[in-house]
Formats: sequence, C-alpha cells, structure tokens
Amino acid sequence: MSVVKEFTKGLWQELPPFRLVLGLCPTLAVTTMAKNGLGMGLATTFVLINSNVIVSVLRKIIPGKVRIASYIVVIASFVVMAELLLQAYWYPMYEELGIFVPLIVVNCIILGRAEAFASKNPIVHSLADGLGIGLGFTISLTILGGIREILGTGEFFSMAVMWPSYEPFSFMVKAPGAFVCLGFLLGLMNIISRRRPAH
Amino acid sequence: MSEYLLLIVSAILVSNIVLARYLGNCPFLGVSQKMDTAVGMGMAVIFVVTLAGMITWVVQYAILNPLGLEYLRTIAFILVIASLVQLVEMFLQKSIPALYKALGIFLPLITTNCAVLGIAIINIQEEYDFMHTVVFSFASGVGFTLAMVLLASLRERFPTARIPTTFAGMPIAMITVGLLALAFLGFTGLVD
Amino acid sequence: MRDLIKMVVVLAVICTTSGVVLSYVNTATEAPREYQYIKFVQEPSMKAVLSDYDNDPIKERIKLVVGENEEGNPIETVVFPAKKGGKTHAVAYSATAKGYHDLIEVMVGVDPDGTLTGISIMTHTETPGLGARIEEPEFTDQFQGLDVDTAKLSDEGGQVDALSGATFSTAGVIAAVGSALEQFPQIKKETF
Repeated sequence: MSVVKEFTKGLWQELPPFRLVLGLCPTLAVTTMAKNGLGMGLATTFVLINSNVIVSVLRKIIPGKVRIASYIVVIASFVVMAELLLQAYWYPMYEELGIFVPLIVVNCIILGRAEAFASKNPIVHSLADGLGIGLGFTISLTILGGIREILGTGEFFSMAVMWPSYEPFSFMVKAPGAFVCLGFLLGLMNIISRRRPAH
Repeated sequence: MSEYLLLIVSAILVSNIVLARYLGNCPFLGVSQKMDTAVGMGMAVIFVVTLAGMITWVVQYAILNPLGLEYLRTIAFILVIASLVQLVEMFLQKSIPALYKALGIFLPLITTNCAVLGIAIINIQEEYDFMHTVVFSFASGVGFTLAMVLLASLRERFPTARIPTTFAGMPIAMITVGLLALAFLGFTGLVD
Repeated sequence: MRDLIKMVVVLAVICTTSGVVLSYVNTATEAPREYQYIKFVQEPSMKAVLSDYDNDPIKERIKLVVGENEEGNPIETVVFPAKKGGKTHAVAYSATAKGYHDLIEVMVGVDPDGTLTGISIMTHTETPGLGARIEEPEFTDQFQGLDVDTAKLSDEGGQVDALSGATFSTAGVIAAVGSALEQFPQIKKETF
C-alpha cells in the first residue's frame, strides 16, 4: 500500500518541477520541443531510479560524514552511463540535449531524493519513489515542451497541429519564453491546488 | 587583446550564463530575494567558477586525455568541483575569516550549481586554451552576478507591488526573469 | 580512527566499483557509438555523394592510413564503398581544409577514374548568408564530374565558379576537395 503512495506522490503532491521547484536548468533549457522534454525526462528518470536503488542498498554501509560524496559518485556514474547509452542508441537525442546530459549530475532533484528519501527507506520504496518522481518530471517536461513547441512552431512532436495561417510565436522557443511559460504554469498550479487542497 | 574583450562581452551580455544559456537557475531564483545575499552568492560563484574552470581544464588535458578516459569527464569534474568547494571553505575559514563570513553560507550550495560544472564543460567543448578558459570562466561568473543583482533589485520591490495572489512568489519571479531575458535578447548580434 | 578507515574504504570501494562498471559499459558501447556517430553525422553527406548501391557502406567501411601529420602520427581516413552486385563502383570519404573562420569538412564521392560523383559539406562555421552558401546545391553541384585537374577555380584553369563575397570559403572547399583527390590514387589501390 505505502509503496503505491510513494509512487503516486511524485505525480501530484511532490510533482517536480511544478510543486517542488527544483531541477530548473534542464526544465527550461531543453523544453523547446515536446520530444526533447521527453528525452530529458527519461534520461533523468534512468539516473534517479538507479541512484535511489543503489543509495538505498548502501544506506547502512555508508558512513554519515562521506555520504554526500558517495551519493555524488553514485549519481555521476549513472550519468556517465546514460551519456554512453544515449550516444550508442539514441544519438540524435544526445546531440539535441547536448551539455544538459552531463549536467543531470547536478540536478538537485536527484541528490535531493538520495538524501531525503533513499538513504532512509528500503529498496522497494526507494524504487517506487524514483519511478514516481522521475515519471512526474518526465510528464511535466513533455507538457512544458509541448506547449512551447505548439505555440512557438505550430507543431507537436514535429507534426503540424495548428491551422495553416497560424503565425508561430517564436518568442516561446527562446530563453525568455521558457521563463514566462514556466511562470504561467506555476501560476496555474497555484490555482489548481487552491481548488483541490492537499489532504 | 580584442579577442578576449569580445569573449568577455559575449559571456556577460550576449550569451549570459543564466538568461541565455539556462545555467545556474536554482541558486539564481533561490537566493535572489535580497540584494546582499545576491551579491554574496555572485561573488562566491565568480571565485569558484574561475578556480574550477582552471583546475578542470588541467584535469582534462593533463589526466583524462593522455589516459584515454574522456568518457569519465562528468564524474571527474564533479568530484573536482565538490572537493574544491570543500577546500575553499576550509581555507577561507582559517585564513580569511572576514571573507568566509560573507561567502561561507553560499559555498556548500555551489557544488550543485550547474553553472560551475556547465562552464567547465563548455570550456572543453569549445576547445578553449588555458587563457581563454580563465577569461571565459571569470566573465561567465560576472555575468551570473550581473543577472543576480538585476533580479534581486527587481524582487526587492515585490512587497510593495500589487501582485495577483495566484502569481505571488515563484510564478511572478519566473515571469520577471523572462522579461529580463527578453531585454538581454536585445544584445544578440552585438558580438559575431 | 576506525571511523576514518571505514570512510576511506567505503569511498574507495564505491569509486573502484564505479570505475570498473563504467569501463565495461564504455567498451561494450564502443561499436554502437561509432556506428551511430557515423550514421547521423556522416551518412547524410555520404548519401548525397553516392548513388545506386545495394550494400550498407557504413557496415563495410574501411579504415586507411593516408599519410602522416607533422608529428609523424598516421592520418586515418574512413572510406565508404558503394557496391552494386558485390562490385565497388564508387567510394566516399572526407577531407578538411581551412575556410574563412575555421575548418570546413567535405565529403567527396569518387568513381574509379578519379572523377567526382559529388561533394557535400559536412561541417563548417562560415558566415550565414555569405560563406555558408557553400552548403547550397547550386555551389556543390558544380563539382560533379570534375577531377583533380578541373576541380579548381575558373580563374586558375578549373571549372568552379567562386561564390561572390565568399572567396575564402570557396577556396577552403576547393582545398579540401583537392586534398581528398590527392589521396585518391592510394585509396584506389586498396578499395577497387
């Protein structure tokens, strides 16, 4: 039962980056297209699940003083692995995400989950937590990418979705558009959560 | 000389690390409510980013490349940055207590500031030589501070502004950053 | 003291495990990474210069040593053979030369007589609207059917018209094509 709760909390109560405003750099940088948001989300989820599991396995072995250093090594190892795997099997996505693939290592969400959750909970729960938060992050990035792609280029997953005379609002795919769009989405989240109070 | 000048202008204004390259957003939004913390964070970033840029450059060209371990770059750089931050913290605490008092609380936050790792990686990807690395890292730190100071001076006025409750807090800060970024977009084309 | 030893041991074990695992993943993904790189970076250019083949030129690629650089290290070129019915009728490979800004990398397709079947610009950083026009078919199509004697500027006895306002970029492409064609006799021996 509680495993299910650990999974679902990532999808609403602690949905990153909207409810937990963390991991902003990749959120803003790669969401020019829904596809890139999805790719970034999946890569982050891969690292998050694996690091959560390993940290949970080692939680009784790692001495308190070197825990952050140990977590960083674990996370960085999975990031390097993700880099290599992307290069080997999804090269176009590797090119699109560019510098933000290695930067997954400093995504505060991952270190945050390792420290706040996986270091204190059993393996299955940590796995569920990583999966939930990762999936929530992936969905959020895909939605943000989708909105920016539709408004900015008139396409969604590279398919034209707007009427033919639609004039693309190219502001949305540039840096300022990223900030403004995320600002409006956070505002929207405020309205929704006020209507549906946390239980 | 003019080449370095162009690099500096480009790193501070045209491709501002926060407003155009999307790096270092968490501390940028996290500690920009007040001017003095913004300045403190900015100074700490300039200091660490320049040092980290130099050291990671040496690590890349003196250790990783000769050994054929380029694929370990991410892990090597983050470890270098994490230990560097620790060392700087210990050094400042012992030798320059005044500076430690000003920057101390910001230092631990810098390890997970992606601007530091990001700049270190950009230095390598752009194949900068050592001098370019130093100049670019420093200028990027200055660009970060400039953006921090601008945003903090805007956010200090929020309490007196009538902001719709829906947008209070993070949403309005985000939109303000968007407008700042829009202003910086005006620098496009300043440097080829 | 025991705590300290435990800390060091745990950290060392984690780092070693990570190193072993990563070096395994690195070796295991080497071949697919090279294949993907060639497929997405070189294949579009290769397809533009080769036609009418029924093999997979990437799978059948050949690595050849085509001379030495200034330090005496061998220069390797990857040659993609286009085969029909098992018989090679053209090869594609790339060469670089300095353009106006930086290196221009050109893929050339050559048939057994040393005649160009086409060229395609793979990477360049020339000025958009001026030098960048070297990418356009109006420019690259001129090279089709030329050989080592005719792939020169029309002012210099060849048959290539320079792009107006992009003399250096044009010269860069011609130099790259020229150096590719100079390597051809040696490549011919090994491939046809």
